[in-house]
Amino acid sequence: MKHNILPVCILALLPLFAPRVKAQTPSDAIMMEPRQFCGVLLYDHGSFDQYWEGAKLRKNGTIETVSRNSGLAMFAYGVVGQLNLIAGLPYVETHSTEPNGGKFNGANGLQDLSIALKYRFLNKQLGKGKLALISTLGFSMPVSNYLSDYRPYSLGFGAPELSLRGIIQYELDNGLYARTALAHLWRGQTEAERDYYYNNGSYYTPWMDVPNAWNYHAALGKWFFKYTLRVEAGFSGVHSVSGDDIRFYNAPQPTNKTVENLVGASAQYYFNKPKGLGVLGYFNRVIQGRNVGQTTGFGFGLTYVFKI
Amino acid sequence: MNKIVRFSIVLAGIAVSAVFTLSCEKDLPTRADYSAYAYASLDANGGSWKPVLLTSPDQITVPAPADVNSTAYQDELAVLRLAATNRTAEEVAAIAYWTNNPTLRWNEIALELVAKYNLIPGPNEDGSYTLPNPADPGATPNFPFAHPPYAVRALAYLSVAQFDGLIAAWHYKFTHNRPAPYAVDNSIPAAYTDNQLPSYPADGAVVAAASRDILSAMFPLEKDYLAEKAAEHMASLTWAGVNVQSDIDAGAFIGEEVAKIALNRAKTDGMSKAQCPKTVSDSIKTAAFDRFGWKWDNVESPPRPVGLTPLFGQVTMWNVPTVEEVRPPVPPTPGSPEYLENEQELKHFADNMTSEWRRIANFWQDGLGTYTPPGHWNRIAKEYIIKYKLNPLRTARAFAYLNMAMMDGGISCWDAKYYYHYPRPINLIPGFKTIAGTPNFPSYTSGHSVFSAAGAEVLSYIFPEEGLIFRNWALEAAISRVYGGIHWRFDAEVGTAQGIQVANYSINVAKNDGSE
Repeated sequence: MKHNILPVCILALLPLFAPRVKAQTPSDAIMMEPRQFCGVLLYDHGSFDQYWEGAKLRKNGTIETVSRNSGLAMFAYGVVGQLNLIAGLPYVETHSTEPNGGKFNGANGLQDLSIALKYRFLNKQLGKGKLALISTLGFSMPVSNYLSDYRPYSLGFGAPELSLRGIIQYELDNGLYARTALAHLWRGQTEAERDYYYNNGSYYTPWMDVPNAWNYHAALGKWFFKYTLRVEAGFSGVHSVSGDDIRFYNAPQPTNKTVENLVGASAQYYFNKPKGLGVLGYFNRVIQGRNVGQTTGFGFGLTYVFKI
Repeated sequence: MNKIVRFSIVLAGIAVSAVFTLSCEKDLPTRADYSAYAYASLDANGGSWKPVLLTSPDQITVPAPADVNSTAYQDELAVLRLAATNRTAEEVAAIAYWTNNPTLRWNEIALELVAKYNLIPGPNEDGSYTLPNPADPGATPNFPFAHPPYAVRALAYLSVAQFDGLIAAWHYKFTHNRPAPYAVDNSIPAAYTDNQLPSYPADGAVVAAASRDILSAMFPLEKDYLAEKAAEHMASLTWAGVNVQSDIDAGAFIGEEVAKIALNRAKTDGMSKAQCPKTVSDSIKTAAFDRFGWKWDNVESPPRPVGLTPLFGQVTMWNVPTVEEVRPPVPPTPGSPEYLENEQELKHFADNMTSEWRRIANFWQDGLGTYTPPGHWNRIAKEYIIKYKLNPLRTARAFAYLNMAMMDGGISCWDAKYYYHYPRPINLIPGFKTIAGTPNFPSYTSGHSVFSAAGAEVLSYIFPEEGLIFRNWALEAAISRVYGGIHWRFDAEVGTAQGIQVANYSINVAKNDGSE
């Protein structure tokens, strides 16, 4: 109710919680009112100079520090009642820092288009706060012919993904809130440009199975200054349910079982003037993982809300 | 609370539909999809073909088999009758897996082991590198590092042993003409097509024993796995009703003996010295620099002190008398007009990479963690062997000449690589970046080009109708390295000519081995 005082748009949380993999469907609890439109422009950066080969954290002078820069355009739209439509498309660029031993070319291009429906089932005063139950159903797929089988420089895992997420948030009347979300990510197959690969055995096909994954998330946050500033800290994880490990001093591949646990914090501010404009920034760090880089990342961006 | 119930129901409903949506994913093939077939020919005179290592097919002797009317044989038949009535699901699966041309399966197993062991040693914490140790294969890094020279050599010994073993088997088969169990006793169902092949000694057992022993020597950590595979394979011959135990015993004996002979050659072919110490490697580099004024250096971080197998060029060749007679001419001097033209082309490819060039670079890359370029050509051979329904003997012959020619090609290529010690594009072009990994050995000539041209020539000899396809693939494999940014065009073009030239030595031997 109070949120309606100011136009609020927080889809930008998406890159905060699973940043280096791809733009995810949102795990926040913010909803657009019907016919309210929110646009987001975001810059995201992540880099790592160590990665987990299976469970072992290692360096690799052949790739040295791998950096990843993304520009993300998104929007959310209040379709009707408690239903929002969300879409996003990132442009991604990757490279190794100099000097490095491999002298590999990085990659760049459009990554995956994500589309999600977000539905709020419940938003009810309960005791001294409000309980919200939300679900998102998302789908994403590559929109360019980027090569997923070019890790660690590939732009994404190159397969369609269907995600289903449940979100529960309880927000006290004083603006303090806690939120948790759980999602399952069904991932399809990606096509490599070779028709043989090893995944704990021979595979005679260009198709690689990208493991499905669980994504969980928990956050604590608070609104300040009459709901103009929101500060949040959280923890998030993506866990593949199957897959192989990176082999000794070998390149990763899309079939890998990846685990990525990260902590992060974000802040968002909404201006009174010009009305509808917001800024946000965040920082995050992978604290534990498997077959992923020990990435440190940050991002910032603009949000703008208006009524159609 | 009604809303919460609705929430849960909708969630569950979406989850179920999502599972349905994604459960129609393709099954991914892990091996060649073929089943037992009728052989295109039987080659009853196969016992008179010229073996590679054996002086004659009866260099390995097996006793004459017991008569089919003997008690001993009838007892063996009874075992098969029982097996046929009680086949378990595992036995049925094993029969279907091994087929009546199991050489293809053993080749496939070899390729999988190559891919499993094709992992380059990484640096230690202090920046040094530890090499795999054949005396302690389980230490880190594991032995072997199945790089292309190692792989092609393993495949050559495997195929030669299979071929010689099957020539010996064919010799005894058509000397003794013992009919197959299902032909003697029609209550024994034949699981495979009846090819009228005499059953003593069992060709499957020859291949199983020879393959197990060669591959166990090449991949010592896989000894138990290979023993298990061979045991299942040999047992499947009785489950399938194609061989009695005495057929299998005689076949296994031939396989073991021929493997010993092949491994004796392997022991002294010079491979154990190919990965020479740094002092030797440095002197090779200095000699090249003194001769030509250029040298290749590893620029990985930390740098590897020795390139890959500098003395592989001195390994004993199969069918080429001396490596010097197939050594290619001197490559263009860096800075010369021809060199500059090549440099321009590489920059052009890198700056204007198309999806087609990228696809070709990746398709033929066959890099670390894969079955290597020689493995790729074995895979291609397998597909055409199935297409043309070759019998086990002709199958082994195709693999033997393919792999001998590719190993000779590799030896010749490595001779050129370390004789000329020519730098890679990333060594000479400032700031140059690649989409393929630059290997740890000199540039000239391209191994992919030599292996592929040699492979394509032999396959074109075996399957003349398909020659155009094979040769075009070899050209594509060669240029793929230029698209990948790790070879000069002259590495690829001279390498292709070199591969063709070297392969012709093997083809000439093949033409005179009595099989035509």
